Amino acid sequence: MKALKRQFMRPVMLGAALILGSGQALAADDSQWESGEQIYAKVCGHCHEAGVGPTIKGRSLPPSYITAIVRHGFRAMPAFRASFIDDQALQSVAEYISTSPAPQNEE
Amino acid sequence: MSQQTNAVLPQGVTASDFAAAVNKFRALLGEENVLIKGDQLTPYTKIMMPRDVAENTPSAAVTATTVEQVQGVVKICNEYKIPVWTISTGNNFGYGSAAPGQRGQVILDLKKMNKIINIDPDLCTALVEPGVTYQQLYDYLEENNIPLMLSFSAPSAIAGPVGNTMDRGVGYTPYGEHFLMQCGMEMVMANGDVYRTGMGGVEGDNAWQVFKWGYGPTLDGMFTQANYGICTKMGFWLMPKPPVSKPFEIRFENDTDIAEIVEFIRPLRIAQVIPNAVVIAGLLWEAATCNTRRAEYTSEPGATPEHILKQIQKDKKLGAWNLYACLYGTQEQVEVNWNIVQGALKQLGKGTLITEKEAGGTEPFDYRAKLMTGVPNLQEFGLYNWRGGGGSMWFAPVSQARGSECDKQYALAKDILNKHGLDYVGEFIVGWRDMHHVIDVLYDRTNDEERARAEACFNELLDEFEKRGYAVYRVNTQFQDRVAQSYGTTKRRVEHAIKRALDPNNILAPGKSGIDLENDF
Repeated sequence: MKALKRQFMRPVMLGAALILGSGQALAADDSQWESGEQIYAKVCGHCHEAGVGPTIKGRSLPPSYITAIVRHGFRAMPAFRASFIDDQALQSVAEYISTSPAPQNEE
Repeated sequence: MSQQTNAVLPQGVTASDFAAAVNKFRALLGEENVLIKGDQLTPYTKIMMPRDVAENTPSAAVTATTVEQVQGVVKICNEYKIPVWTISTGNNFGYGSAAPGQRGQVILDLKKMNKIINIDPDLCTALVEPGVTYQQLYDYLEENNIPLMLSFSAPSAIAGPVGNTMDRGVGYTPYGEHFLMQCGMEMVMANGDVYRTGMGGVEGDNAWQVFKWGYGPTLDGMFTQANYGICTKMGFWLMPKPPVSKPFEIRFENDTDIAEIVEFIRPLRIAQVIPNAVVIAGLLWEAATCNTRRAEYTSEPGATPEHILKQIQKDKKLGAWNLYACLYGTQEQVEVNWNIVQGALKQLGKGTLITEKEAGGTEPFDYRAKLMTGVPNLQEFGLYNWRGGGGSMWFAPVSQARGSECDKQYALAKDILNKHGLDYVGEFIVGWRDMHHVIDVLYDRTNDEERARAEACFNELLDEFEKRGYAVYRVNTQFQDRVAQSYGTTKRRVEHAIKRALDPNNILAPGKSGIDLENDF
């Protein structure tokens, strides 16, 4: 591994914002995500703010509905596994979407 | 400890052996990284192919985070003869998504192996793990102010370089032939050995990411679209971000223009005047990616009538063919090449040039410009809204970059699609001398009748193209054995001989590209 030890090492594991109280269950410190807002910007928003997927902010969608759609997919929307977005991160983005106002250019 | 599984077993594995293997997976990986319940596995079964989900349902999914864990998984699979289907980001849409190729296979999900191990800004190389996404790489380059440019496929934000390159996917920059830019793989072999290609086996080496060939046989290509090993690290080259990028479009009015367009573009592409993987997108590809839905124009089932296609072309100000290319370099270099392009177009005598200025931030120009300059987005998923219903299969025959060939393939594909009540939604991606003729066979997967039509259509496309000497470069897992047939028996015998030598227990992704020791080769 000597060849790998260069100046730009291990930029992942950025944020450990989602810390669990105990060490069991989900390994939140493994999460690659910082916040619900970040997940929305880096994943959901690419479609849901671009007219590809429907607008989901500003509709007070229940977080449980959002998490179910994310895990199952729906028609053209892909399903996202726990390895891609862990349960806690998913909950945080679902709450972010549920409580955010509609994008400004939307009615 | 819950034993409530989704009641699917790997082929030929008893329930008791499977339970024993699951216990060993848990001991190796931890309870939370061994998924066997139906609801945990649901996201792995969202497919876009027409066949029943049941045919692609896994028995379990396990997630590994280290090379040692991958070795451990392989060891357990060998012990119990359990087939394991490896995925990286799991977003191979239209080619099988995250689902295993065969029912009952255990998924080895490497999404959590997501380290960007090294970016070398001097040599412009990267070394990454399988779970790294292009968005993650892009953010890293931006945050660290590293002037390098990515090349990626359209699902860039959520897909990644290892999976895309291992499946020989392509992108839209001068580095768009991704396997060509790959440099150094680390493979966990079926016997648990860790094999590094190229210079990677040399103690103390630091040239793994800069020299591909190493010494003796160069085996990297053998591992792509294959099931001879599990890639746990991959190196690749990155293009220095040029001081100037000039994306542009040339819009052509008639679908009969395709032959002339190809003849116009080929010399510019081969001579590298235009250095990137040029795209020639058909009307409906363009319409869908600027968020046009078929339902806005008609509720009639079947192929969309020509008069509606013309109306869409007019309403949305699109070409029947829309060529996208980009020039890169200093201002002076770009100007020289721009003049050459303009001169060639003048000689052609048709086509309207559009630059960023004329496009004014509108789609689909905007997302095309982003794809050609390495900015992640998901705008192309608009394709899935054209008909809606989540059905998509890529039919991607290879063609010479020759006008007459492209014309012939286009006409044949459109006839077959329309006959089955589906639309031609396609583009040509121009390699150096080849075309990836990429057609999205879009259908409503929630409609059983349409699903059956799409399946019949895909079979006919494969058959009729094969009769004329054409074959696809990649296909979804439903048709992987069928496509292997197109390439001939000798190739299959060689591939199966390698499989027997490297993976005698047939544990690594049996069925991938038609390679499965259950076959009679």
